[in-house]
Amino acid sequence: MGRYDFTPLRVREATKRLFENHKINTMPPWYIAVSGIPPAQTLTRPVMRAPRVKGHKKPSRMFQPMRISYPEDELRSEFFGDHPWELARPRVILENDGKDEKRWDWSRIVQPGKKLDGESVVQRQMYLMEHSNLTKEAAYDQARREFYHYRHLEDVERRISKEEALSTGAYFNKGALEIGMELEDVAYENWKAWATKQIEETKQARAQLYSGPVEQATTELEDEEMDEALNEVQESILATEKGQDALGGVPIHV
Amino acid sequence: QRFLSSEIDSIEASLQNSLKETHSIEAYINSASSVPVPPIDPDTHATTETSSVSDSVARYYQIYKEQEQLIGKIGSTVSPHYQPHTLLTNPPSPSDVTLELLLASGAHQGHHTSLWNPANARYIHGIRHGIHVISLDVTATHLRRAAKVVTEVTRRGGLVLFVGTRPGQDRCVVKAAQLAKGCHLFERWIPGSITNGQQILGRCRTKVVNEKDEEVPGFEEQLYERAVLKPDLVVCLNPLENYVLLHECGLNNIPTIGIIDTDANPNWVTYPIPANDDSLRCAQVIAGVLGRAGEQGQKLRLQAAEKGIITYTPAQDLKLPDQKEAGDESQDILEPNDIELLEKLLAEVKVEEANDGKGREGEEEQSDKQTDEN
Repeated sequence: MGRYDFTPLRVREATKRLFENHKINTMPPWYIAVSGIPPAQTLTRPVMRAPRVKGHKKPSRMFQPMRISYPEDELRSEFFGDHPWELARPRVILENDGKDEKRWDWSRIVQPGKKLDGESVVQRQMYLMEHSNLTKEAAYDQARREFYHYRHLEDVERRISKEEALSTGAYFNKGALEIGMELEDVAYENWKAWATKQIEETKQARAQLYSGPVEQATTELEDEEMDEALNEVQESILATEKGQDALGGVPIHV
Repeated sequence: QRFLSSEIDSIEASLQNSLKETHSIEAYINSASSVPVPPIDPDTHATTETSSVSDSVARYYQIYKEQEQLIGKIGSTVSPHYQPHTLLTNPPSPSDVTLELLLASGAHQGHHTSLWNPANARYIHGIRHGIHVISLDVTATHLRRAAKVVTEVTRRGGLVLFVGTRPGQDRCVVKAAQLAKGCHLFERWIPGSITNGQQILGRCRTKVVNEKDEEVPGFEEQLYERAVLKPDLVVCLNPLENYVLLHECGLNNIPTIGIIDTDANPNWVTYPIPANDDSLRCAQVIAGVLGRAGEQGQKLRLQAAEKGIITYTPAQDLKLPDQKEAGDESQDILEPNDIELLEKLLAEVKVEEANDGKGREGEEEQSDKQTDEN
């Protein structure tokens, strides 16, 4: 055929032709072995799905593999939709001998050698639906409750073990709150440095724009001068009809 | 001269000092522990083994055994679990191949559906999580077929080359080659090692062995003129990376076995094994199985050699050294039993030819049956 190269599959025939035409003197050691064990069929495409009966506008997917689906898939999506953080739990996918399923008995939710997981809930639910004749929702609720019971036990164990450790002299690293506070402090210091820099920059920009003599807004007054200035301004009351007096050269303004 | 003597003196003095140090350490250890340390002879600087040491060894071994009986069962019992090193130290044999073993080693995991090669559609069970899942019964069938080929080739004195160039495949490839008494390759295949073998492998030593694998001396001159060896069967654990090797094998009519994933071309090898080439555990299982198959073939060959049956065609153009020395040019080195064997083999070949027509028809019938079932 055109774009196919069948040389590896025709090594036996090629060697036979070479031998018949005296190009080689002896058969190689593999010849009889390969003759007795023919290779498997190649390039066959078995029918995988039902063909399209009518309306042949799109190409048929008859020869394409099908998606594998189980009834548990629906239950899995429901469970992990309700408990998304269960997906964050790490999972070991290494198998020992591939016969785990034969050792499981889903009359209990906890199985030896299998970590309590969303998968346990789903399998327990399937078992209850089959053997206890519960509806899907009832089986889900019961499996869920058993699961929560064991998760609660795990939490209690974790808490007690931490207390025991602390009481026997263990010390732990910083907690999440502490680390968060430290990060916030660092962020605040960074912001403060940025803010002071911004203030300086705006001051400089404003100073550049203003080309006249720099007016000192606050001058250091001595006590006597301060009293005189205060007397001058004392009588002007802002929150009246008369309002602030127009005092141009006064050292202090109200 | 004064320099030399002072050096020798200093060496001797240092040796004496180290001896004194060891004496002091020995004294300390002997006083501290119950196990006596063997003393060092000052002349030979070696330990003097005494019979009392071996007596104490026997006594301590007995004590150890009693202790083991008393307290050996304490502690948790670890249930049987997957131990990765056992795949290398004690690989599974073709009779140990089960679907559960292949599943546990991840042989069923193919690549994403968008990366597939439609030529291996018949090996695929279905699609799960966006990847093609390889049928494990198909994998087991092809693996057993390949193991049979390896056994038969090694039984007839064929040289098998095990190739696995991915990181981590070196150990399993070497182990398989050791079991099958073949060759291994875990670094990059140098292109032209078969087609241009004389240039690349010309410096490699070849030897002449008899039917019991004992080297026969005296053929050095003839071997110097002889062509370089080529493998009789090549097993490749990652054909996608070694397409040059497989192409060279095709050019030189060498049958090949390879692990074909869902994105590989199954026509690159003579005997594909549809399995996961990305899983190291899967590659180790397959290499182990084929290595054990080779070991079985070698065992059969040597058993036949013990009885005097040679299962292979001896090298044709080699002359025995004494005959060559005598100057006989046209001496055939074939023994009478070799000629009988040759005739038997040729008869087998003729039988194969006679069956070829039938065999092909049989295959066509089978293929028809399969299509009918589908």
